[in-house]
Amino acid sequence: MTQPLLEVNDLHTVFKTKDGVVKAVDGVSFELNPGETLGIVGESGCGKSVTALSIMRLQRPGRIVGGSVVFKGHDLTKNTEEEMREVRGKEIAMIFQDPMTSLNPVYRTGWQVAEPLRLHHGWDAKRSMVSAINMLGRVGIPSAADRARDYPHQFSGGMRQRVMIAMGLTTTPAVLIADEPTTALDVTIQAQILDLLRHVNREFGTATMLITHNLGVVAGMCQRVIVMYAGRIVEAGPTTDVFAHPKHPYTWSLLRSIPRLDAERHEPLKPIEGLPPNLIDLPEGCAFHPRCSFRVERCSRDTPRLQPVGDTQRAACWVTQSGVELKGA
Amino acid sequence: MIGPSRVAELDMPGAAVETAAGRPAQSYWNESWERLRHNPIGMAAGVLILIFAVIAILAPLFSAVLTHFQPQSIDLAATFRPPGSTHMLGTDELGRDTLTRLIWGGRVTLGIAFLTVGMALTVGTTFGMAAGYYGGWIDDVLMRFVDTVLAIPAIFLFILMSILIHPNAISLAAIIASVGWGNVARLVRGEVLSVKQRDFILATRSIGARDFRMMFRHLLPNVLPVLIVAASLGVGQIILIEAALDFLGLGIQPPTSSWGNMLTNAESYFYHSAWLVYFPGIMIFVTVLASNIFGNAIRDAFDPRLKT
Repeated sequence: MTQPLLEVNDLHTVFKTKDGVVKAVDGVSFELNPGETLGIVGESGCGKSVTALSIMRLQRPGRIVGGSVVFKGHDLTKNTEEEMREVRGKEIAMIFQDPMTSLNPVYRTGWQVAEPLRLHHGWDAKRSMVSAINMLGRVGIPSAADRARDYPHQFSGGMRQRVMIAMGLTTTPAVLIADEPTTALDVTIQAQILDLLRHVNREFGTATMLITHNLGVVAGMCQRVIVMYAGRIVEAGPTTDVFAHPKHPYTWSLLRSIPRLDAERHEPLKPIEGLPPNLIDLPEGCAFHPRCSFRVERCSRDTPRLQPVGDTQRAACWVTQSGVELKGA
Repeated sequence: MIGPSRVAELDMPGAAVETAAGRPAQSYWNESWERLRHNPIGMAAGVLILIFAVIAILAPLFSAVLTHFQPQSIDLAATFRPPGSTHMLGTDELGRDTLTRLIWGGRVTLGIAFLTVGMALTVGTTFGMAAGYYGGWIDDVLMRFVDTVLAIPAIFLFILMSILIHPNAISLAAIIASVGWGNVARLVRGEVLSVKQRDFILATRSIGARDFRMMFRHLLPNVLPVLIVAASLGVGQIILIEAALDFLGLGIQPPTSSWGNMLTNAESYFYHSAWLVYFPGIMIFVTVLASNIFGNAIRDAFDPRLKT
């Protein structure tokens, strides 16, 4: 077993609002191994993005109130702001959901792709630009030397996401966090960007944390997957196992709510009943129990912890931990 | 933002490829300049201000070559001359050449206006940027200070300061700017608050940029359009304030001429030598009007949605 590159332990991030304290990340633990692609799935507002931002310490105005983020043996939560700046963009890079707004409209793209090199390696404009143009070419931007002189608005959405990826990779970081990198793109472009991310992962050996709410993306990209619900991890394990035999009712319901090619024809999709819980006022016990069709009396009383269920998976569910298989109409 | 060029593209298949290959880069600034260029009145106003500024800068040249008089050379044998061939715009009660004094006065008036705008913009941008970027208690402290400054009745402050320090051109600019920067700070803060929410700011933070870089490399260029509009509209306002202070005898003191104090001086002679009032009055009127028109034109150029 190799040493994990990034280890998140019992991370808690909260947002103070007028209505109360929002526990956006509520005791999340996982590790990321060198070179692997880890998927984090969950619906909007379940804490995926805040987890990612907390790793980079960019969660403002939220506050990390507990836990640790150990990267290459250092706890990032104890770093000074100046030490954090050395990590950001150099060791851990991030790409965002909406490539249309993630680039500064007033600067040429080449200048922006080269910016991490000027910041972290102290390279001059000329040297960093050569490297930026090279990187733009490698992420599949045609005639990169010319396009580097163009402004962001002259690029299409997919091309801009390529630019963002190039910007993240110039410093060859150890970790690339991709926060819903394809959500704002149309389907054919999505496939291209995912291909690119897969290629990048192989070529640069960059460990990738892929945040998405698209289960199809996870299936095609990730060796391991983490399923989040209401700020907590409800299930974790190898992607194939989690998809074949989900051990948490939430994962089970999620998988039943998406269309499949191999399903019976005319079988209706089954949406998950109810609404995601209010993060200020979580239900007692398991946060999913009001929407769960497997719930037992204990679910509304005690909060289940993430425990091994089966050989390779872990799940936070009283029902499956007691050995019950998830089946149903 | 969809400019006219972008709309045209929608009708042409393959336009995107063309953009990539041949067409020159159409930056935001280029597009704005294109819109400004096609606004004849706005351009005329801008050119007029430019001409006045050049004349003001070259005042010594003009008084040597064109008028052949110095602004303070007195000729008691030629007082109250109406406009004519020797004195193109006439003379005042001491026989001083009005055109020469107007040119030199423009140097003072426009100089003060530009200097004031420069000072107000520098201080206001710094305050507004810090308040908007950092937020929290820094924002509260800075903006309450701005509120306090803006709550002081400007005219009393001007009177008090003028009595205390007998202003020259530079200190007069500082006095006027000491009130004007508050509005700039508010304007910049508002813009920063909105630009700060955009994803590229988070993205820039995620590559490890420091606060200073965030503010002056990434936020400032995005705030620049409102600053340019504020500057061009501000020139007109400041000329009016300065003229008013001169008129009250609190601004530039004779014998140095400014358009404002020429007007003050002329009021006593209005009934028999009205040109002494007309010329500085017309200069103030035209310059302020041009500044306002040009300011509006720039605003329309930067943001065509505001155009009525």
